Amino acid sequence: MIDPKTVERFSDIDFGDDLPEVVPDISMEKIRRFSQVAHTTSWRFTDQKKATAAGLPGAVVPGVMSQGILVSTIHSWAPRCTVHKIDTIFRAPLLADSQPVCRGVVTNMNEETNTLELDLSICNEEGETRVLGTAIISLPS
Amino acid sequence: MEVSDLKEKWTGWAFDEISFDITADELKEFALTCGEILPRFTDPTDTDFQAAPSYVTCLHGGKQLPDGFPMQQEASFDSGKTVEWNFPIRAGDTILARSRIHDIFEKAERSGGMMFVVHRMEFINQDDVLVAIVDSKLIQQVG
Repeated sequence: MIDPKTVERFSDIDFGDDLPEVVPDISMEKIRRFSQVAHTTSWRFTDQKKATAAGLPGAVVPGVMSQGILVSTIHSWAPRCTVHKIDTIFRAPLLADSQPVCRGVVTNMNEETNTLELDLSICNEEGETRVLGTAIISLPS
Repeated sequence: MEVSDLKEKWTGWAFDEISFDITADELKEFALTCGEILPRFTDPTDTDFQAAPSYVTCLHGGKQLPDGFPMQQEASFDSGKTVEWNFPIRAGDTILARSRIHDIFEKAERSGGMMFVVHRMEFINQDDVLVAIVDSKLIQQVG
């Protein structure tokens, strides 16, 4: 059975469509696991006390993890798509153990190549944009 | 040194090469911790099991900048990354990563002049296929 929030084909999509919002798991436990596999074990990511002592508001999510989260947000909406390119700006830190929201919108469509352009963002609980991105994906016709 | 002189001297040539053996466990763990749920990224028994597209961002070079490059790493920060995904990376692949400085430019920001250094890593598999390119934008205040 197809999840009604997902799209299967290029023809299922219209310009301006919003991707379903996703609240990613950025718990400290998940960040520590990510940091192990990504070899980004700095205390800025994995130790709340050290991060706070250094003047940060808390431990932060590695930028490359937030980029991976945006890719998974695309896949949750379009499971059959191919992500060809993702460009991400780490505008401000995203705090560990917070509950941000990932969003996306279709900003361009090319019917000849079945490719789409998406604008992506991750906003914190205050609605501030912390991570910005764009992506180019393709879907079956 | 002017940014144009830096660009002429430091861009366009590879300063680091490193090889990675790709394992199913690492591909799966990367995907799961990023929230992927599709079996082709999370289940090593899936017939199309492969790396999630931004997996290459966790493959680090031996050094981030060439020896002698005039940028203080502790005073710079990573402002963003672009991943171009060309071909699947699968468990058992051997990936060669080659690093170079792709571009250097300056921008006037509200807080003053900023120097941007675009660090490029190209990832090539055992069949000599360019599977991915990652551009990282490092920023340092100047002046």
